Amino acid sequence: MPNRKDDVYGDHISGKFNDELNELKTQFLNMGGMVESQVEQAIQSLVDSDGQLAEKVRLGDKLVDKMEMDLDEEAILVIARRQPTARDLRLVISVIKMVADLERVGDEAKKIAKMAIKLTEEGQAPRGYVEIRHIGTHVLSMLHDALDAFARLDSEQALRIMKEDKQVDEEYQAAARALLTFMMEDTRNITRCMMVMWVLRALERIGDHACNIAEHVIFMAKGEDIRHSPMEEAERVVGR
Amino acid sequence: MNTMNSTVTSNNETTEAPAVPVQDERPAETIIQEGVTVGSPYADDPKFKLRDVEVFYGESRAIKKISLDIARNEVIAFIGPSGCGKSTFLRCLNRMNDSIDICSVKGELMLDDQNIYDPKRDVVELRARVGMVFQKPNPFPKSIYDNVAYGPRIHGLANRKSDLDDIVEDSLRKAGLWNEVKDRLDATATGMSGGQQQRLCIARAIAVSPEVILMDEPCSALDPIATAKVEELIAEMSESYTIVIVTHSMQQAARVSNRTAYFHLGHLVEVNETDKVFTSPDHELTESYITGRFG
Amino acid sequence: MTDQRSQAEIVRQSLKRRYRKERRFRLYGMTAIAIALLSLVVLFTDIIGKGYTGFIKTTMTLEVVLDGEQMYLDDASDKDQMSMADFQAPIITALQKHFPEVEERKDLRELSRLAGSYASNQIKDLLARQPELLGTTQTMEFLVHDTVSVYVKHADNPAYSIRLSEQQQRWVDELVQKGVVDTGFNDVFFSRGDSREPSNAGILGAIVGSLLTMVVTLVIAFPMGVAAAVYLEEFAPQNKFTDFIEVNINNLAAVPSIIFGLLGLAVFIGVFGLPRSVPVLGGLVLALMTLPTIIISSRAAIKSVPPSIREAAEGIGASKMQVVLHHVVPLAMPGMMTGSIIGMAQALGETAPLLLIGMVAFIVEIPDGFFSSATVLPVQIYLWASSAEQGFVELASAGIMILLSFMITMNALAIWLRKRLERRW
Repeated sequence: MPNRKDDVYGDHISGKFNDELNELKTQFLNMGGMVESQVEQAIQSLVDSDGQLAEKVRLGDKLVDKMEMDLDEEAILVIARRQPTARDLRLVISVIKMVADLERVGDEAKKIAKMAIKLTEEGQAPRGYVEIRHIGTHVLSMLHDALDAFARLDSEQALRIMKEDKQVDEEYQAAARALLTFMMEDTRNITRCMMVMWVLRALERIGDHACNIAEHVIFMAKGEDIRHSPMEEAERVVGR
Repeated sequence: MNTMNSTVTSNNETTEAPAVPVQDERPAETIIQEGVTVGSPYADDPKFKLRDVEVFYGESRAIKKISLDIARNEVIAFIGPSGCGKSTFLRCLNRMNDSIDICSVKGELMLDDQNIYDPKRDVVELRARVGMVFQKPNPFPKSIYDNVAYGPRIHGLANRKSDLDDIVEDSLRKAGLWNEVKDRLDATATGMSGGQQQRLCIARAIAVSPEVILMDEPCSALDPIATAKVEELIAEMSESYTIVIVTHSMQQAARVSNRTAYFHLGHLVEVNETDKVFTSPDHELTESYITGRFG
Repeated sequence: MTDQRSQAEIVRQSLKRRYRKERRFRLYGMTAIAIALLSLVVLFTDIIGKGYTGFIKTTMTLEVVLDGEQMYLDDASDKDQMSMADFQAPIITALQKHFPEVEERKDLRELSRLAGSYASNQIKDLLARQPELLGTTQTMEFLVHDTVSVYVKHADNPAYSIRLSEQQQRWVDELVQKGVVDTGFNDVFFSRGDSREPSNAGILGAIVGSLLTMVVTLVIAFPMGVAAAVYLEEFAPQNKFTDFIEVNINNLAAVPSIIFGLLGLAVFIGVFGLPRSVPVLGGLVLALMTLPTIIISSRAAIKSVPPSIREAAEGIGASKMQVVLHHVVPLAMPGMMTGSIIGMAQALGETAPLLLIGMVAFIVEIPDGFFSSATVLPVQIYLWASSAEQGFVELASAGIMILLSFMITMNALAIWLRKRLERRW
């Protein structure tokens, strides 16, 4: 079988088909990179109370939406033209679904940016930034790793991301509890704290989407759908 | 961890993930183990029970230790690159290879627990039970009626003209051809369109009421519409017949069959539910073939 | 750019050369065909030019007085008297009526030679059938003498008049003017056997002989050839022995036909003691000669039956025998018949082997069965062509025309059969 070091998928007889699949992957990774930077900038704008940056993120979401539509169209064309099977079919279907996840991540980034704008206008919240930065870094790395796992079709890494999602959930719950306590202590800050809460919630959702992407990577690599299955099942599939 | 590898070869891999996934550099041939078939080649109470089947053309071995069960009333598709032995294997099932002098068959081939290759067995009786439809529509240059009636006549299935008429009508109805030809049963069959000819050949095979119908690339000479009609017919027939179909069109295999068997260089590499084969096949070669990475 | 242009230039030049070559090649082909056609035209003009007169007979109509005294005959029903009688006398008398000035005995003899030598037999036959006509006057049509016939048919060509004296030429001219000597369609040619006298010779004997011989050939060679071909092609195992047989069959097709004549002489006459010069013997020899052709063409026809049809029949469960009898042989039949007809046409034109088995004899009677002596068309032509009389030359050419028309008919039949039966396919 032909083998190119930079392509873990192997070559088709039809070079055009190869190009189309590669184009799909490249576009998806581009969109992933775009979304990643959206999230990063949104967190940045929130932490730094940078209204302009937040505004930029809010506008950037339009581009993400357009990329989603382009990718969907590309995927539909591949199906129509090539009737992909097996690995290729799983790739195309996964891309279609992961694109939706990425788009949601973009929406969450936009949400965070909106909160950043409000908080910039109303003044910073008294607490929660440490948690935001911490969880934000965590989910960002998860998102990055998920895209990386997709690029390399690395199911081991994808499994690690799924496991990390649990940590993010725990961190989120801890942060939420802390914020709740704070809000009970000082009721004047409830509005702003709620905003921070929503931001935390958005970050936690981004972690979930990264986890979804990881699940799709495992489906692409192993051909088994491990969504809604216990972690042991996922480990079994990856360990095969 | 080698992400590209399949069940058979990945057992001894460690869980340590290399930084960059490495592809298996070994040539495709070495990944196949003789006599080992991935997936689910066996069935309970099979129609055909085939064990360690080997076919030789003179010195060369065309089929290498294939074991397979074909279940009752299932549609099983044989796919694989040209020269992989799928047609040869199919032709063993009703001993069509007999007419080739240098061809010899070894192994256990059982149809309903009777050995197909028993020297005492009458091949005529076998072929009456296991009918065949060929790649090129090959009606006899006779009338439509005579084409369908030929089988029942030589087997003496009908004693009276009216019985024969009934068989002909019934077979043509089953083949979805009755309404198209009922007014011109005396017309010569070679004047029909390709798709009609192929359905006539199916009707001719049905007319001797076989239990199994073997189809050797039945649609390769037909246009898409005719192909769709034949496929529709296969779906209908699957209720009452066991159908084995060799096809070069993977989409066709995906559309019509319950199970799919992938042949490669005389080996039976993988047998699985068709849905599984076309979404996530177990063997790397199957995957490479159906995704168009070689062939 | 310049490179490209020059390349296009080179291509254009080579194109010109190519077209020239092509034209030249086509010209060669057309020349070859033209030469072939020309030879054919020359051959046909020659044969038809010489032969058409063979289909014309020259007769003279005379008022014959069946005078018993003159013929030394008083009872026509008396066989002894009939065999002694002089039937020439009434003809001379009848001719003398046209030329009363001729009285000398020598001139009278010359005058009487104008009538064919069978003219007196005609009178004898008439009287033998109807003795009561003795003493009456009858208007009868006689064939003229061969030399007269040639002279009349080629009136404008002095080369054909040398056999007649000037006196005779004058008489004939006068008789033609009077309408006594006339020409008409030569029914004699188609209704009689061979004869020593050209104007009295017919080809019917040879035609019947040929037909009888062909029937024997067909009945023997066709079933045997087809059976051999079917066995060799469908049932025989592939081994050294069958290869050997195959090579020998192919060789037999190339064996000179005279060898088959020798074989017939040695085996059929020598060993089996068949009579000579009978259609059965000729048919047997020609069947042997035709057999390889039929076997080879039949095998080719069987081979050309598409294997898909065999498979179709086998797939339904037909036995080998059924496959062959129901499908292969019927489908191969047009090809087999075509091959056979062409083989038969070949046999029809064959002379050499028949010379050896005695079918070259001079036979006057039209053969009435497979065991009566006969000759065949090409042998008859050979006989006539080697005869000295001028009249036989035109008969030989006419015979060739008949033979050719038989051949064309058979070939046309072969083509028609092939077209007709293969269209279904």
